Amino acid sequence: MSAIATETTKAAESTRTVHFRIKRCDGPGKPSRWEVFDVPVPAHANVISCLQWIAANPTTADGKATTPVVWESSCLEEVCGACTMVINGKVRQSCSCLMDEYAPNDGDTITLEPMSKFPVIRDLWVDRSRMFDALKRVRAWVPIDGTYSLGPGPMEGPKESETRYKLSECMTCGCCLEACPQYHLETDEAAWATSFIGAAPISQARLFNEHETGAVLKADRLEALMGPGGINDCGNAQNCVQVCPKEIPLTESIATIGRAATFEAFRRFFQSR
Amino acid sequence: MAEQQGFMERHHFLLRRLHSLSGIVPIGVFLIVHLTTNASVIWGAANGRAAPYAADAAGRGVATFQHEVNFINNLPLLLLIEIFGLWLPIAFHVILGIVYAMTGSKNTQTYAYTGNKRYLLQRLSGYVGVLFIFYHVASLRWGWTFLVPNGTEWSHYFAASTLAAALKGEAGMWTTPGVIVAIFYFIGVSLLVYHFANGLWTAAITWGITVSEAAQKRWGYVCTAVGVVLMGTAWTALGGFLFAVDYDQARAVEEQIFIEHHGEEGLQKFMDNPVDEQAAATIHEAEPGDG
Ligand code: SF4
Ligand code: SF4
Ligand code: FES
Repeated sequence: MSAIATETTKAAESTRTVHFRIKRCDGPGKPSRWEVFDVPVPAHANVISCLQWIAANPTTADGKATTPVVWESSCLEEVCGACTMVINGKVRQSCSCLMDEYAPNDGDTITLEPMSKFPVIRDLWVDRSRMFDALKRVRAWVPIDGTYSLGPGPMEGPKESETRYKLSECMTCGCCLEACPQYHLETDEAAWATSFIGAAPISQARLFNEHETGAVLKADRLEALMGPGGINDCGNAQNCVQVCPKEIPLTESIATIGRAATFEAFRRFFQSR
Repeated sequence: MAEQQGFMERHHFLLRRLHSLSGIVPIGVFLIVHLTTNASVIWGAANGRAAPYAADAAGRGVATFQHEVNFINNLPLLLLIEIFGLWLPIAFHVILGIVYAMTGSKNTQTYAYTGNKRYLLQRLSGYVGVLFIFYHVASLRWGWTFLVPNGTEWSHYFAASTLAAALKGEAGMWTTPGVIVAIFYFIGVSLLVYHFANGLWTAAITWGITVSEAAQKRWGYVCTAVGVVLMGTAWTALGGFLFAVDYDQARAVEEQIFIEHHGEEGLQKFMDNPVDEQAAATIHEAEPGDG
């Protein structure tokens, strides 16, 4: 008991003030503005815990009462991707963003912005529907629905399963799209089908192409990725692989789909009716 | 416009891949041949067959380069080769390249990764490269001499001397506009070599030839080596024309070669009326035993 008390006192002692510069927006289509909050930050805090403090104390640094800052988060352990935002100019998850690393000293400033490639719903909360739409576009699933039992699934070697396990870690967070110079904000849903799809769905297409049962949809996936907005719109800047928090080998996936597309094009030219 | 977009979208895959391919064949291959030919003004010094034309290294270089240029100019169907092997592919690559480059954006301040800088430089080098190629071709091939500092008209009969004069801005001497032209050549040609080497690297990803990160890295070393060698060749060529060629000596060597092909009369006739290139050729045909 006393040990915990000492810990708490220590944390309280080491509390420092950090200026949070936050880009705010009241709703879709509304103008955005900057607000600064002075947050007492204890040791071991992360950005989310500070946002929770701001939600409870919605007063700006110059003493004006304001609305609580809105953000999205769920797992708090970097596996759901919901809390992705732009911190000090770079995209990352805010739940795993440690204050001791980003603002170690009293008086430090940290800047939070919503991702720029997705429409803002409010403040730091963005609408990532387009990513989920993209997963549908590339049929990122194993088709097993039917009226009768398909029997046991195929056997898989440890090597394949290792490769695919890595790919399956994608949490649709959007970091790879935010950092991609070929991926742009598209508010018009009708344009999604022909705007560059980005690295994550390409990598997911590979994941399911390499699944023995999932492979039956391979031609459909390639069809979607060989058209406008598909694989060829990638400019090989390779930012995606640099920023992916799951360290998914995205450029390898892009090249794998590129190769499959090459073969598919030859197959269509020489073989298909 | 809507129809044009429809075309681009319908043939999206084919156009993209042809754009990638055209950068290597024929354009990249031409770049290698062109730079190697031009560098002959230096490596020609080691060419034994050029020895009769000049005692010194510079003269042998000039003679070798002249022979290379003559060889190219004597290729059958040269104009057709130029149109279908060069102009159309370059126009295709440039136009689509600009369309594609406009779909990109620049975020190197935030994401200052090497790959991102390479991506940006690929697009910048494309834009500057187009301007350079336009100037290069217009001033030397199409004879837009108002673009050349002292109005030198490049002649394939006097290849090295007129080229050196067009670059430096004056026969044998440096002028301020000449320095600017020379620097523009240096920048232009360097960026184009980069564009080719980096394009070679990305094309391997686009086509799915290099898949793993390790393979991309290995191929990266190969492309770097290709780029370095080609850059050396380009700088050798440019340096050769700027610093090694002596105008008067080069002219003398070239006249010697001209006489060998077209006779004294041919040279005289050509000097009187340099525009009429046919004249010299006609004389040559009339006296086949000559030279
Ligand atoms: S490699 Fe392609 S998908 Fe990845 S950041 Fe670059 S352009 Fe975007
Ligand atoms: S590939 Fe990586 S960066 Fe992209 S959405 Fe998935 S987890 Fe996020
Ligand atoms: S809350 Fe799930 S990744 Fe941050």
